[in-house]
Amino acid sequence: MTSAVTPAPVPEPVPTVTPGRSERAQARVETIRLLLRKPGFLIGNAIVLFWLFCAVFGEAVAPHDPFNDFFAGHQAPSPEHLFGTDRLGRDVLSRVMVGARDVLIAAPIAALIGVVVGTLLGLVMGYYQGFIDDVLSRIVEAFLALPVIMVALLTLVVLGSSTVVVVLVVGILFTPIVARTVRSAVLAERQLDYVTAAKLRGESGPFIMVREIFPNILPPIVVELTVRIGYAIFTVATLSFLGVGIQPPSPDWGLQVAEEYNNMIAGIWWPTLFPALAIATTVVAVNLIADALQSVASE
Amino acid sequence: MARFLLRRLVLSLITLWLLATIVFVIANVLPTDVGRTILGPFAPQESVDALNERLGTNDPILEQYARSMGNLLTLNFGESFASKQPVGPLLAAAILRSLKLAALALLITIPISIAAGLFAARRRDTKWDRGVVLLGLTSASIPEFVTGTILVVVVGVQLKLLPVLATPPRDADPLTEIRYLLMPATAMAIVYFGYIARMTRAGTIEVLQSDYIRTATMKGLTTGQVIRRHVLRNALIPTVAVIGVQIGYLFGGIIGVEKIFNYNGMGQLMLFAAQRKDIPVLQAGAIVVGVVYMAATLLADLIIAWMNPRARASLAR
Amino acid sequence: MDQLRFDRIRRAASPLELDLVESFAQGRITRRQFINRGVVLGLSMPTIAAVIAACGQTPAATPGATGASAAPSASDGASAPPATEGGVIRVAIQRPAGPLDPVGMQDLGSYGIVAQSFEFLCTLNSAGDDIAPGLAESWEPNEDGSVWTFKLRSGVKWQDGSDFTAEDVVATMARLAAAGNAGLKGVIDEQSAVVTDPTTVTFNLLSPNGNFPYLVSVFNAQSVITPVAMESGMTSDEVKNGTGAWKLDSYDQATGATFSRNEAWWGGRTPLDGVEFTFFDEIGPMVTAYQGGQIDAIVQFDVLSGEALFNDPNFSIIATRTALHRQIWMRVDTGQFADKRVRQALAYTFDREAMVQQLFRGRADIGNDHVIAPIYPYFDESVPQRNRDVERAKALLAEAGVPSLNAVLHAGELLEIPDLAVLIKSGAAEAGINLEVAVESLDTFYGAQWCPGEPAEPPCSGAAELGIVDYGHRATPDVYLNAALKSNGIWNSSQYMNPEFDAAFAEFQAAVGVDAQKAACKKIQTILNEDVPIGVPYFYNYLAGNSNQFTGVYSSALGQMFFSSASKVA
Repeated sequence: MTSAVTPAPVPEPVPTVTPGRSERAQARVETIRLLLRKPGFLIGNAIVLFWLFCAVFGEAVAPHDPFNDFFAGHQAPSPEHLFGTDRLGRDVLSRVMVGARDVLIAAPIAALIGVVVGTLLGLVMGYYQGFIDDVLSRIVEAFLALPVIMVALLTLVVLGSSTVVVVLVVGILFTPIVARTVRSAVLAERQLDYVTAAKLRGESGPFIMVREIFPNILPPIVVELTVRIGYAIFTVATLSFLGVGIQPPSPDWGLQVAEEYNNMIAGIWWPTLFPALAIATTVVAVNLIADALQSVASE
Repeated sequence: MARFLLRRLVLSLITLWLLATIVFVIANVLPTDVGRTILGPFAPQESVDALNERLGTNDPILEQYARSMGNLLTLNFGESFASKQPVGPLLAAAILRSLKLAALALLITIPISIAAGLFAARRRDTKWDRGVVLLGLTSASIPEFVTGTILVVVVGVQLKLLPVLATPPRDADPLTEIRYLLMPATAMAIVYFGYIARMTRAGTIEVLQSDYIRTATMKGLTTGQVIRRHVLRNALIPTVAVIGVQIGYLFGGIIGVEKIFNYNGMGQLMLFAAQRKDIPVLQAGAIVVGVVYMAATLLADLIIAWMNPRARASLAR
Repeated sequence: MDQLRFDRIRRAASPLELDLVESFAQGRITRRQFINRGVVLGLSMPTIAAVIAACGQTPAATPGATGASAAPSASDGASAPPATEGGVIRVAIQRPAGPLDPVGMQDLGSYGIVAQSFEFLCTLNSAGDDIAPGLAESWEPNEDGSVWTFKLRSGVKWQDGSDFTAEDVVATMARLAAAGNAGLKGVIDEQSAVVTDPTTVTFNLLSPNGNFPYLVSVFNAQSVITPVAMESGMTSDEVKNGTGAWKLDSYDQATGATFSRNEAWWGGRTPLDGVEFTFFDEIGPMVTAYQGGQIDAIVQFDVLSGEALFNDPNFSIIATRTALHRQIWMRVDTGQFADKRVRQALAYTFDREAMVQQLFRGRADIGNDHVIAPIYPYFDESVPQRNRDVERAKALLAEAGVPSLNAVLHAGELLEIPDLAVLIKSGAAEAGINLEVAVESLDTFYGAQWCPGEPAEPPCSGAAELGIVDYGHRATPDVYLNAALKSNGIWNSSQYMNPEFDAAFAEFQAAVGVDAQKAACKKIQTILNEDVPIGVPYFYNYLAGNSNQFTGVYSSALGQMFFSSASKVA
């Protein structure tokens, strides 16, 4: 799957000594100031916030009950139903509004699992190198050789699909990708003086990894997390479309597309197009944020 | 160079073995009744038992593992559980179709995206540049199945420009075949456009900022000359790496596209094998996709080495 | 009524036939049902016509020329738009699950392909709703329906040039009995079919069966007649043969199959030169392919994927009323639905008419919580229909002491079932029944919710308390009654055990006349409607269709489409 391509880790700026706490806080303020000047960051956040609002308050603000109001089936968009009605006569606008819920819970959790586990693995691989690194690298590479969607499909078919399983599977499949990125970032760091100094002080490996190296590779990890959330939405939506992701009767966007895409040929495009656009806007928004974070991190 | 190749080959074989094991483990996590899955809930128990006996799915797990690994070593992929046909020819036909589709997608996307990337890099920070970046970001974010369905409706059904199915009639000539594959290939090409264009842009900008390009420009060469003589070769290195990795991942996106266009390539084969728990097909399919991925990355590495003298030197060592 | 003519017919008729003739004469069955049943019992067309005439109706208006088209001929299409000779029809069909093993096949894709080259003793009438003479020219039962004699068509040849004889039929039946064919199990054993003479086969049934011809017809898809030399498990895509109108030229599991005209077919020369099948795994792409002009006919589609076809003026839909249905089972032995009133309450919340509209755009019959579909000749319409009545549902719940109820409704991921679950949930909410819909892959659903293997006895005792399961079309309701509802039935997921029902079912099975069958069905319908071990909201139509460029195509409800009299419109 396309989700494999990760932006190259950004090892710079390279501090030669561990920055102090106040310096870090200052850097953080500066980062935020830079981010707020990026239009992509602002637009991306606005869109994401809009969908988050829909996910939380969707049912309260939707014009109709997305689950229990049945009108005539497949009505074209009209002032009464701005996005038309679906095959059972439910209001598409209302369903698109609440359809954000599943994916906006599932995708970030999946990305978080991938990034947390992947970072731990990457730290261990990059710091210790040698035998552990060789073995883990082989396993990571074996995983990377298979498209995420294909492995996810296989696993979900065997384990049975439920939102929890989807989250776990996508999270685990993102782990090797994150691990590889973090590993190369760690490789660049461990040659630096502050790591050598810590070693000379007799600090333990875990301490150096967590307290010394980790804070310095945090920026690329944050970027990675945002990028992963984008891919998680892409992946979860695709899995739902293939019938192994989020299960009906959820109004999930990918599922809505899967349930209605056959009807596009009959000229009934609205139950497919609007959830599809919702997926598109969300992923684009998350990527805009990731893009801004990345450019700020490398400035 | 030979040592490098040998090392890569050995590592690839180890990776393939791990891959086969991972797939085997996944497929056998839960004790599933393969016979029942294939025959459906309404089949008599006697036929289910007979089928399980014939397929050997009741044997001890280690025995099954040894058998499946042994079969892979001898390139004997066994017989499909579901269709009772040998997996080898089934897979060969499917991979051939998918490769055609993927090749066409890359053929469409590579020149366009590289051109777009160069175009944007030369107009860095103008509205043209931002337009290309935004377009790339958008096109890479939208899943293939969404792009595919929109294409079907607009190009296939409304405008009636292209056939809505990817499978050409029997004995079609290559041109007809391309016509049938054009729409699914475009759906895939759009997603890859984003990656390749952005990578080319980033690579070009980096090179343009480097000292030797400044020197070349100061020597009085036009921008076009500079790009042709100096920039392209270096700027395309990350792009080639991306394309190499993409080929493996093309097969993920291909599932959704093949589903919409009812094209019987690897995607469809794997999707239906997964639904029927057809383990021999799944395992062989995963191995084949893995081989394709590794071959592609290896090829990309070699091209990079050829393009970059420094990398070539390090490879030779 | 012309009493004299009528009496002459009565004197010549066997008891089974007599019962049918009387049922019709007294208006208890419709003319259409009479014709269909008459064909089953082996009445000749002249006799059927005579009875209808005697009863003062015009036989000329016989719908669908049932049975008369014993040898389907091009003349069928003559009344339609001018037809041409030649051409190939391109057909979309679901991909066969495996090699074409006529005895072992279980899927509609294989049924549809096999039925092109191979034929049945009793084929499908051109109206697509009942049987007609096929390889058997005529058939008749003995007095109680325990011995059936089939007269075979003479002069029929296998595609390899050898003669078709009674030996082939007997060998086929022995193979089917040995394989435990679902339709013939308990009806015949390996010795039941015997050769009387080269063109006559006698079946000595294990017990009387008034519906036997259905079991050796197109409605029992595995009962295609194969040559003596055929072995069980041998596949017909490798050994290409058959007696049918089409010869298999090529077969590729991945793409499709092609057939060309069998010049030596007993039914005459087919107008079309050939049939080309393309295999699909889903219905959506079939519709897309039709829209794109790449195929001409679709063997089966569903309303939700095929909406485009309904709005297409150039597409003729072949809608066949069937017994295809869904059962919403409720555990009667334990759990929240053990009280009959709670089950009735849920059934009163179904908005059946809305379901038929929303899920099938009206192409379904309303169900009444029993499995006797309105298409069966013995369906009794006097049992009152249950309609949506929320107040009644609330009252029943209050009576049962259950003011509100929370339950999980299990559903498999199949066709409209997830949507049906949503509609049931929505309708039940108003009566205070809160359902949570759980949709699972079919695999998990059948194995964990519907009929888990453990505990094995009684069957299905591990089933969930509430769920929706699918049932395919059967020519008779025996399987539904026997497996899903009889005490200890193998698919009895509601764990329904009612001696009264079992007795009514036994009565139905023993009954050989329409009257007796209908009387038994009335009991069955009444008991099930009252006890509600299963809710049955509808029986939906089987949908197939073809482009208006072709005429004379007809279809069974089991994936078999017939093209022998089809032709291309000029």
